[in-house]
Amino acid sequence: MERQIKPIYEALDTGSNKSAIVACNKLLKKQPKNDLVKTLKALALVRSQKVEESLILCDEVLAAKPTNDAVLTAMMHVLRGLGRHKDMVTMFEEAYKQQPNNEDLAAQTFFANVRILNWKAAQQIATRMHKQFHEDRYIYWSVISAILQANEPTTEPNMRTLLYKLAHRLVTSSPTPSYVNADRFHLHLSILRELELFDEARTLLESDIGKNICAASLSCNEIRRDIWRRQGLLEEEGTKAELRITEQNDRNWLEFLSVLDATFASLTSFKSDEQPDESAKTKCSSHAAKTEELFTKMALEEGHKDRSALLALLELEKRARIHGVSNDPNRLVDLMKRYFEEIGSKACCYEDLKPYLALEGEDAARWKSFLQSLTPSFASNNDLWRLINSHKLLRQNLSSDDLTIGAETDRATLYTQQYLEGLKLGAALPPTELQPADDLALLAGNVFVTLWKISSDEKYLYNAVALLEFALTKSKQSFHTRLMLIRIYRLLGAPSMALEHYRIMHIKQVEHDTLSHFVLSRSSTFSLAASGDLTLATECIESSQIYISNTQDTGEYIARAFTGEKYSQIPEFIIFEDRLENSLQRDLIKIEHLRMRLSHEAISSDIIDMELIELKFIFDRLHHDNRDFEILADYQPRASQKFNEQTLLFDKTEGPGWLTTFLKVYIRAFQQGSDLDDTVEEKLLIGDRPKHTSGQNKLTLKDRLRQRTDEELVELTPDELTFVNYATALADWLEPYHDHARPPPSVVLAEAAKLAEQKTGHPLKGVEIPPKNGNGNANGSAKKDEEAPPITEAPELVVRFFDDMKTRFEAVKDASSPSLTLHVASLIQEAFLLFIVETLRFKTPSVVKVHKLGALVQHFKPIRTNALAVLREVSSILLKRSEQDGTAEQRKSFVDACSPTTDLNIDHDFVLGVAKKITDSRKKVTEGVAKGIARVCTSYP
Amino acid sequence: MSVLRPFSASDMFKFNNINLDVWTETYGLSFYLNYLSTWPDLCYVQAAPSGRLMGYILGNAEGSNNDWHGHVTALTVAPEYRRLSIARKLTALLEFVSDTVYHAFFVDLFVRCKNEVAIEMYEGMGYSVWRRIREYYGTLGLGSRGRDEEDAFDMRKPLSRDSSRRSVRPNGREMIVDHTGV
Repeated sequence: MERQIKPIYEALDTGSNKSAIVACNKLLKKQPKNDLVKTLKALALVRSQKVEESLILCDEVLAAKPTNDAVLTAMMHVLRGLGRHKDMVTMFEEAYKQQPNNEDLAAQTFFANVRILNWKAAQQIATRMHKQFHEDRYIYWSVISAILQANEPTTEPNMRTLLYKLAHRLVTSSPTPSYVNADRFHLHLSILRELELFDEARTLLESDIGKNICAASLSCNEIRRDIWRRQGLLEEEGTKAELRITEQNDRNWLEFLSVLDATFASLTSFKSDEQPDESAKTKCSSHAAKTEELFTKMALEEGHKDRSALLALLELEKRARIHGVSNDPNRLVDLMKRYFEEIGSKACCYEDLKPYLALEGEDAARWKSFLQSLTPSFASNNDLWRLINSHKLLRQNLSSDDLTIGAETDRATLYTQQYLEGLKLGAALPPTELQPADDLALLAGNVFVTLWKISSDEKYLYNAVALLEFALTKSKQSFHTRLMLIRIYRLLGAPSMALEHYRIMHIKQVEHDTLSHFVLSRSSTFSLAASGDLTLATECIESSQIYISNTQDTGEYIARAFTGEKYSQIPEFIIFEDRLENSLQRDLIKIEHLRMRLSHEAISSDIIDMELIELKFIFDRLHHDNRDFEILADYQPRASQKFNEQTLLFDKTEGPGWLTTFLKVYIRAFQQGSDLDDTVEEKLLIGDRPKHTSGQNKLTLKDRLRQRTDEELVELTPDELTFVNYATALADWLEPYHDHARPPPSVVLAEAAKLAEQKTGHPLKGVEIPPKNGNGNANGSAKKDEEAPPITEAPELVVRFFDDMKTRFEAVKDASSPSLTLHVASLIQEAFLLFIVETLRFKTPSVVKVHKLGALVQHFKPIRTNALAVLREVSSILLKRSEQDGTAEQRKSFVDACSPTTDLNIDHDFVLGVAKKITDSRKKVTEGVAKGIARVCTSYP
Repeated sequence: MSVLRPFSASDMFKFNNINLDVWTETYGLSFYLNYLSTWPDLCYVQAAPSGRLMGYILGNAEGSNNDWHGHVTALTVAPEYRRLSIARKLTALLEFVSDTVYHAFFVDLFVRCKNEVAIEMYEGMGYSVWRRIREYYGTLGLGSRGRDEEDAFDMRKPLSRDSSRRSVRPNGREMIVDHTGV
């Protein structure tokens, strides 16, 4: 047998699912009852997306209650693939029941519960396992399960305490002390911290072994530090930290913070409404003097080798000012100057000083004049860095009055000149290295963007592009330069250039979640899917792979952390998995992809049904925003918008409100267009339902879909808002007619059962087909006794939408960047496609006839005709525009606009090349969108 | 002046400023989760007071008998935080834990033969070349700098358990092995 099974495994391992199925069928002919072969076939079927066929085998195997290791393992993969985690729990529970002495089965049952975060059951199993198998680690499995149950947001506070007390009892019941390994010790400490059993914690921590563990384990030491703080032992902790700093040469900033916290403990121990008395102030002053002495001595010894002491002195002075115990008004700026003198030649100087830059009056003036008095030098990298830091620091403190066109233009020129000068220092560097002068180009990029913002003149963005593209020829690996360019190219309506730079960065794996927003945010605006170019749609799918890996892999490592007893990691992995699973970006991509898909594929009830189910899953998620905006090189003044905000497409970023709004639009439209009401869906859907993470909302789904809040709507652009208003009016109008014409659930289920039986030869499980009452017809549209709802006119918002948007389009069609033009055009197309979705049901003449909706359909015609006329015109205007976008004249005007940059000795031909790329990219996108719209018009005449 | 703390799974959402650098590889989730679920005490980050990540180290413990050692798998610092001894501090803690918790004989790491700056830094930290591994690194498509680009030095530093300093040999650079044997 083994000899015959082996090739099946090999086929599965290499992804040859087809040959695995063939091999299974062959074996099943001889041994039709073999569970392992059935399971392997089910697995191959799941992997080839043949879910229905796989389900039947899967259910057969489950019914047989397998205990064989190979069957269970393979079934684990099958059930995982089908999203049936709860069935996995049952399967292992059954197996464990049959073989209560099988430790491995017990562990699998435990893990199956962990997988669905059922901590209560997990805790009970672990306790049983400990009794039965006498392994200490099962006590700890039980302990952490209790803690994780306690930490669930839904656990009541008194239950939480009870669970922690249970955990505590369990830990102390362990025959071996927790300090045999650091992770057990960590777990124990976290319980003591929660229960505030500080004396017990101290005894453990002050034992030799406790001290040794904390010396080598950052996580145990973290919790130790926290326990000391919670006990209010700031001064004691400060003394310990001082010893670590002076005797063990520890330079962990956390130790310095402990010393600082201790310094001000005599004042911070007062409650916020109490005034510290004079003696407390005196005590603090003398402590501050001692701390200053310590750090000053260190700073002298270390010079520029380590910046800890210097920065600690700054932090000390900042806090002394806050608490009113500073005794030298010049000191803060003096320290900042000293910091700059010692550390100014390192890139981090600017960021280090940033928290101290909010200076006023005399301080601000002294600091500014100090920085201005520095003489620029290009003699060495260190000099160059000092120059760059001084620019960044000065710029951070500019007021809005300083940001005039004249002054900013001068700065752009200065930074560009100095950038070119600075390049000489890195002339000999290999191409893989970054140029030390890069940040000057990035500074100039920031300035150009501000100039564009205050003048609304696009020529500044052209200059930014010319300079940054040039900078990339000198420093190919500068991702900061690329990210900046990506933002600007999207503003300029050159999305293919943005994508090109994005791809060069080789974004992969988890980076997709944090960085794909750079090219996928509102990407349906630039999508050419309607014309058959699926570049962006593919990018959406590729970026979403990471969410599949998360579902497949992360759980596995949670189990491994249990096996390896790395308890400190388990809560972290759970948080990580949740953040990725419920990532905002994930579902923003989903919406963008949906919008592209509808423009590309023929709208059918299949698409409507599938998307409906998926969007409803998403709707109840509590999203986490993992998008990385901090990565942008932002050197804008404190008084100005941040670079990220300045360069957002259409000035808006999509947040949870935007997502919810679009989800509501599409769920409503699909719900109306679909025959799957909730009862049908419940019967037909396989796998676990999503865990509703967005809390207990008492409203029904229907009510929630109709809710609109200002907080949500504010995330939309004005044009998106118009679209959403249109969509809402359309849905409100058509809802009663859909509800009237939708076949009853029994008919839908009967139809689904019939299809399933045709496909698999088995009846659909759990669906009872009611006897036919005789008046069902082929379309499943049974004649109703009740009258059709009264037919009303189309709402004004729907009727006027296309004309209003055409006016809007006319107003933006000649903007030099096509971005906004395309935004409006793509929304008109989207509105039309939504109309198709909403009216699909009434395309079938028999439905209209049976339900007496002829009068309603009459209202569709003029709207549709008008929409098509508007779209055709938009398409032809865009097409005309695209011809102009790519002309030599456009290129020339780009190059002319770049004269400030070319005048500084950046090659004219190089800039011409950039101009060509931008104008080509613009031409490509406007032409593609125009053709796409034309195609949509022909698809739905 | 930076916070030294354990590498946490959620740091994967924050390491772009380090990982977008061309010399730093971004692996699949399994890679990081495997390290964290096995050797969490050999994985740390250094973060700026603002919370921004500066660099990180991922290490493991491997080998049998006299070969039992700590290994630096990934050590990387964001371009803007170089020249601040970040790598040195990360490595020092890994060595300390390899010594006191894992009782390893030595710590080792691999470095491109071409990367003289790094080699010099590691030598300053007490590492020396144990052997040269042929074609250890897949080529980055640079090619022009020949074998030094693809070959790696395996550098080792003895810990207290290796009292007779058996993980140091003077002619390590001449000991060439094939990458398939590593």
